Amino acid sequence: MYPARNIFLLLLVGPLLAARAAAPVDLERAAEALVNSRPQDVLRQLRRDSGSRSERLIWAAGRMGAQPATDGNLREAETVLTELAQGQDQIAAQAAYLRARIYQLHLNEPDFARAAELYEALAQRQPQSHWAQLGLVKLGMLKLYMLPDSTDLKADRLAPAEAVLSRISEPLLRRDLDLQIGQAGIVLHQPQARFLPHLIAADRVSGITGTAREDLIVQIGVLSERAGDWVRAREYFERYLAEYPTNVRAFTIREKLAAANRRLAKGGGA
Amino acid sequence: MKKDGKRRLGLVLLVGSYLLAVYWVFTRSAPVVSSRPVTIRIAHWQIEKGPPDGVDAIIKRYEELNPRVKVEQVLVPGRVYNQWMRTNLVGGTGADLIQYGVWLDGLSDIPARYFEPITDEMLKPNPYNKGTALEHVPWVQTFTDGLLNQRVNAPDPGQFYAATLTEVAVRLFCNRELLRTITGSDRTPQTYAELRVVFQQVADYAARTGKPVFTLAGARDNASWLMQFLMQGAMMKSSQRNDRHGTLSLYAYDELGLYLEGRWSYRSPEAKAGLTLMREVSTSMKPGFLQSMRDAATQEFLRGDAVFIFAGTWDGTSIRSAATFPLDVLRFPQLTKADPVMGPYFFGKFADGGGGTTMEFYLNKQSAHPKEAVDFMRFMSSVQGNQLFTDHSGWLPSVREVKVPADIAAYLTPLDCYSFGGEYMMGMGSTTAAAVFRNLYLLTDPRGSVDQFVDAMEAEMPAAVRTDLRKEVTNRAIIVRPQDVRIMALAALSRRGQADGSLTLARERQESSQTQSEALMLQMSRQLDLAGPVK
Repeated sequence: MYPARNIFLLLLVGPLLAARAAAPVDLERAAEALVNSRPQDVLRQLRRDSGSRSERLIWAAGRMGAQPATDGNLREAETVLTELAQGQDQIAAQAAYLRARIYQLHLNEPDFARAAELYEALAQRQPQSHWAQLGLVKLGMLKLYMLPDSTDLKADRLAPAEAVLSRISEPLLRRDLDLQIGQAGIVLHQPQARFLPHLIAADRVSGITGTAREDLIVQIGVLSERAGDWVRAREYFERYLAEYPTNVRAFTIREKLAAANRRLAKGGGA
Repeated sequence: MKKDGKRRLGLVLLVGSYLLAVYWVFTRSAPVVSSRPVTIRIAHWQIEKGPPDGVDAIIKRYEELNPRVKVEQVLVPGRVYNQWMRTNLVGGTGADLIQYGVWLDGLSDIPARYFEPITDEMLKPNPYNKGTALEHVPWVQTFTDGLLNQRVNAPDPGQFYAATLTEVAVRLFCNRELLRTITGSDRTPQTYAELRVVFQQVADYAARTGKPVFTLAGARDNASWLMQFLMQGAMMKSSQRNDRHGTLSLYAYDELGLYLEGRWSYRSPEAKAGLTLMREVSTSMKPGFLQSMRDAATQEFLRGDAVFIFAGTWDGTSIRSAATFPLDVLRFPQLTKADPVMGPYFFGKFADGGGGTTMEFYLNKQSAHPKEAVDFMRFMSSVQGNQLFTDHSGWLPSVREVKVPADIAAYLTPLDCYSFGGEYMMGMGSTTAAAVFRNLYLLTDPRGSVDQFVDAMEAEMPAAVRTDLRKEVTNRAIIVRPQDVRIMALAALSRRGQADGSLTLARERQESSQTQSEALMLQMSRQLDLAGPVK
């Protein structure tokens, strides 16, 4: 009805729309938005079905992190991740890993068996990828606590996870699974000789943060004391007191250290 | 002429009003545009005498050092704090820095949902400690306890979330005059057995004189602290027996899991002995004390109606400044092996403080000025900032190298007692705590008994423990799920060239702490599966 006005509007808005469509996506900013817990920004900026593999991976991660975290939205992310996981590059490994995470952790009803299959498939396909290695850590934990081979109470409960551990070559990831096998050994009532070496192995690699590190030092000292390994007990008690002298546990540990020293003076020890 | 006079008067009034307005604007009013472009708010419930002055002193100095930033202190009464925090966080109007405590009822999901970890900052030195002995010490290690409590309660075991302002302990405050009047001596009880004698002397005095005097000032809060202290001490052997991890410390989720496995209950002899002591101390408080809060107990003590008040050092400034009588501050008299109730289960002296620091401030994820908020956190927990807090609040510091004034030195707790963690009453989870409070009258009422309380609790615990353990799993899931996305994004940033090492380090830390949290989730889920539904 007003062709001149429409043409004028088109001339005005058209370049803006074109500029938006053609604007290169700032992937760095999108990734930063995810680091800063702003997945909605990513979903506004990126499209599900267009862009590079990196862009689509970030879109899928944004979809996983955005609210509402419905199973429908997660399935939408999974569709993109499944497609991306077909390649052989790092993006494929990362996509396959995230897909497994959806089943283990994000769906309303987790499917541990399916997650385990996906971790295993990734490890078979790209065994040296960091994401496959990280997936093996998660697989090891599922074998400790959740998968069918963890239900036989008389079996060696740590062996399945130890088999997974042997496939992990990255030191920090080995440390993390070693720590968890050690802790699980306690919860699952396994013999101390089976789990204590894992705790010691975890301690040998630095970088454990938070309470876990402090607990680990006390733990190795106390468990060694219980096993009559007074030399190791003394080593860890001394370390604890040097690093955490003001902790409320220090009083008890001082007493334990004195007891260990008395034992060693009498000629005890492992 | 008359008309001219009116005009002149009007003009004079107009000019006068204008001049007055100009004077007011330039001398009295706040500027229309703040000279400080950034405003951050710090909110807490410590409205007792002391802490607001301490925080004000920190703010004043901080604003001198940082002319760009204005800091507002938001004081919220404890009675409405929970609702205030939840409403403001949901509405996106929460303060930048918020005090939070893990024991706050019904708020266990808050840290996971609304608070941002500050791990990277904690592992670097605090710049405000420049020129002090702590100049090169990582921020976390500048706290007297290495942020032990905060780390134990962190929603993610591998992360740091909060900075603390003070160290707390529980103490027995004594009205020396009243003690002398009743017992004929200034000597304070040194053991629980001696305290029992005072219980009897005070009861006799009250009966003889008709005065409503009690040994202990009573209120739900003070009684809970004392009962928890007695119960933890009573359960030390049980805690040690159940310390299968060898960490010398039971966490709340450990206690819940151990309960499901049948490793402890209120029916155990140790627990019953602890409950017997709790009932005994409750009879030395005024009847109906469960209905009143700690302010009522403080008033009772200050009126001279109670010889002692068992209170946290957080009430110390209020009590000392308002007391009109000589005051002694002492550690609670400990039990001994000869005690007729606790003797068979006695392990040793139980820690009455342990040097843990608290008044924890968390960074709101929605803060518009996170950098400035963290910077203020650094200042308040620097040697200078924390000294200002201590000097103006009368509360203990949380930071090493801060000088403790002589009048509060009695609040310091030497490391001379055992502690194996384990709360057993209010600290396991909000559902179990609610059950304890709901049934506590059965223990403290003159017609109640230990057995009545135990029966009521054991009827509720199986369901309450499952609920709290499920909450632990859910709260960890809230933390762990977004970490997948963050880990992926950190890897993407590294790939795109921002490879200064810090991104890789951040990703590695995130992966490691996520694995720790996930393992706990799996462990707790398994415990719940094995326990099955309540029979």
